[in-house]
Amino acid sequence: MTDWFEVLGRDGPGRLGELRIEPSLNTPAAVDDVVHDGGSLWSADREVPATAADRLTILPHRGMPTGTRAVVQEAFTPESPAVQGPTAVVVSPEMAANVGADAYVLSGLNGLMGDARRFIGAITSTRMAIPSDTALYAPGVATPATLPLMVYAGIDLVDRVAAEVAGMEGRYLLSDGASPIDQLTELPCACEVCVGQDPNELDRASIASHNVATLEAAIAHLRDRIRAGRLREYLEGQVRHIPWLTAGLRILDAEWGYLEPRTPVVRQGRLDFTTDDALRRVEVLRFAERVTQRFIPRLDDRPLVLLPCSRTKPYSDSPSHRDFREAIDYRAHIVSLTSPLGVVPDELELVYPAQHYEVAVTGRWSANERTQIADILASYLDRAEYPRIIAHVPAEGYRAVIEQAVEEIDGPPMTFTVDGHPRDEAALSALREALEGTMRYPLERRLDAIIRGIADVQFGEGAGDALFETPSISGRYPRLRVDEDGEQLATLVQQYGQLALTLAGAERWLTTAIPVRRVSIEAFVPHGSVLAPGVVEASDDIRVGDEVIVDGPTAFGVGRATMSGQEMVESSRGIAVDVRHVRERR
Amino acid sequence: MSQPSPEVYERGRGMDAHNLVMRELRGKRDDTYDPSEPTRVWLDEDHTPDGIQQSLTIILNTGGCRWARAGGCTMCGYVAESVEDGSVTTEQLAAQVEYCVEHERSQADSPAELIKIYTSGSFLDEREVGPETRELIAETFSDRTRIVVESLPDFVLADRLEPFLDAGLAVDVAIGLETASDRIRHDCVNKYFDFIDFEAACSTAADVGAGVKAYLLLKPPFLTEEEAIQDMIESIHRCADVPGCHTVSMNPCNVQRYTMVDELFYRGGYRPPWLWSVVEILEMTANADAIVVSDPVGHGSDRGPHNCGECDNRVYEAIKAFNLDQEPAIFDRLECDCLDTWTMVRHKETGYNQPLVD
Repeated sequence: MTDWFEVLGRDGPGRLGELRIEPSLNTPAAVDDVVHDGGSLWSADREVPATAADRLTILPHRGMPTGTRAVVQEAFTPESPAVQGPTAVVVSPEMAANVGADAYVLSGLNGLMGDARRFIGAITSTRMAIPSDTALYAPGVATPATLPLMVYAGIDLVDRVAAEVAGMEGRYLLSDGASPIDQLTELPCACEVCVGQDPNELDRASIASHNVATLEAAIAHLRDRIRAGRLREYLEGQVRHIPWLTAGLRILDAEWGYLEPRTPVVRQGRLDFTTDDALRRVEVLRFAERVTQRFIPRLDDRPLVLLPCSRTKPYSDSPSHRDFREAIDYRAHIVSLTSPLGVVPDELELVYPAQHYEVAVTGRWSANERTQIADILASYLDRAEYPRIIAHVPAEGYRAVIEQAVEEIDGPPMTFTVDGHPRDEAALSALREALEGTMRYPLERRLDAIIRGIADVQFGEGAGDALFETPSISGRYPRLRVDEDGEQLATLVQQYGQLALTLAGAERWLTTAIPVRRVSIEAFVPHGSVLAPGVVEASDDIRVGDEVIVDGPTAFGVGRATMSGQEMVESSRGIAVDVRHVRERR
Repeated sequence: MSQPSPEVYERGRGMDAHNLVMRELRGKRDDTYDPSEPTRVWLDEDHTPDGIQQSLTIILNTGGCRWARAGGCTMCGYVAESVEDGSVTTEQLAAQVEYCVEHERSQADSPAELIKIYTSGSFLDEREVGPETRELIAETFSDRTRIVVESLPDFVLADRLEPFLDAGLAVDVAIGLETASDRIRHDCVNKYFDFIDFEAACSTAADVGAGVKAYLLLKPPFLTEEEAIQDMIESIHRCADVPGCHTVSMNPCNVQRYTMVDELFYRGGYRPPWLWSVVEILEMTANADAIVVSDPVGHGSDRGPHNCGECDNRVYEAIKAFNLDQEPAIFDRLECDCLDTWTMVRHKETGYNQPLVD
């Protein structure tokens, strides 16, 4: 519960926030100038200092250096008095707990620099132990190189201390690491300190000034990346410069229970998949999981045509896929193979992130990519009943992956229709020929499969059939609306490939066995949005971007979550739900 | 002693925790020593109230410190130098004394005027050193000028000092006070007695004509560099003000095996003090009414007090020189780039970001 900090935006575990002191501070931020240290209780007994609205007061503390055993920490951790005004409490990764502060200062991080596993573990375990609407401060460790991973992991506040100390030690900092000043022939920076200077002429105070300027620039850059929803793309490249930071990212990627709830189901920014680490992104694995476990292939009475992905998204807009579709002519079910998402059934081409990514294309896949795609394809095929498979893909790369997957599950007979390029006339003829004699299926069937398939992925396995009995689908793809019994239930949101429910659709949801993502609110009728303090309870599985039902004693509505369920419950500030439709209950 | 209060309760918990950890760490050692030889013996020269004297320093192996068996001080690994079952007989102690005399005879031109006896515990604790051994040592060194014996304040009793005084020796008791702050001594060092007990021991010693040499610990674990400096300056002044305490020996903390400090150091949670801090303190306490000396054991190594590696030897030599002549001017000429780093550490290190640099 905090009045002095608010999370304004999220990009995975990274957060954009506001430290609401006077004047307020956009976070991530360096807080050197606004922190007031109440002092260490190791050296003296101390009065609780007076707080003030223009600073963040760190209550008297006993910092626990790295390596302090739990039994010693337990014996010496002081009680935290309840204090009015903006306060921060010093915690250790082992002893972190909610004590009602606005911010938490993570002690003992210095000893963990370079130890990727323990460094990441310290941040994530502390973040999970304190309320999500409070700020987490990593003191004395931020450099332009370490900052991005820290911020991505969930650090909101840092300071300039490590950058200044490095300067005093003669270490010149950039976002790709540190150089001893005497190893630089020229200064790769045009900041006030460096412009026109020779490395030999730079005194240590000047190096410290450069380091601080570089850090401040890095902080601003990260804030902007989070705003744009593109923090991860930057991080994957930046950590490459320093092995332990690369290890840190990979270790963090293995923390599914930490990352998944913090990753939105849709976001505005484009996803760029340029490294092998992209294979482990929550967005990628979540999509694969939903396609292979929630999505029901409804057109699998037809032959399956496997196609290569296209650069233009959605795929159906691309020139290559137009050619393929013309050849296929609604006689087969189309599934595109792509790295790193795996398989994208035709029905889901709009679903985030299938139309929101770009990938470095070389025509060659890495061993990791091949394994991941083959695994996803195998799980997908395992749940379908296709009579046969037509693989209309380039021979290189794709073919081996498909053979591996089909062999793994002992799949149906398979034809390859491409010898050279899939758009060659010969290949297209072979595709047409392979489907010779197969009946076309009607447009209504295709639209029905799209709506139900998207519902499966969005709401849960079988949701497409549970929500819609005999839907009437109107509009021209991709602008579709769903009615039933003369009443509108949903609209397809083209931008994300999500269904936006009407109140009738929301009520329908309540009658199904599909788990409802519900936000219970107090007795008020929300107009526009539900703020976090008004939330009484929220389903655990709500993620940013999820369709949710808003339910209170005096209101019933439907909207889109702007926080995770846990955050809605824990937060005392901020918008929890953007409400689309609401009606008063009587 | 202080009144019961929540603070005392908390201190009890803290002491229990420290002792638990220290017992476990000490339990990991498996080396033992021959009880018929002293732990160490060496020759040196020392600044005493009578001027500079040749000294013979003896570390007797007595079976170790009683407090260390309960757990003991967070930085002290000397107990690791004790014998396995903890009992050393009077005969074995006599053999150790003989060994030392022999050592001096073979190494020195003339007998040292100053004899210093440490035990990694309390020489005056009769469970460590019985009355017969005390008598033997008083007799053995009765031809010398001065003797220093190490003890916790509890055991500083008139009758235990008498054999030495009766032998005509000037007597000093070396007391490991560590800091004048009861809070830091309890919570960071895990030493159980209070400053008031130290004052009482000084008074007892003074009453029988003996002096006290206070041993202070620079930078116990959990303190920042600046807190450590301030604590040391304050402690030196408070010790100098206690009648009977004529010398203060500042020991910059070094990382000894099988200790909590070692575990913190290994995990990245402890850095020994800077040699610049030692210099700063000596300068700031040059006016104190006591001899202030410091022997930075392990200087220049990661596990001992150190600066940047470039200047460690120069600074150490200056400190050694100061020990003998108490002239702070020797420090004026010292210069190094790392002075700025140290200054920044003093300003920026906090309880929650330490250690700021290696």
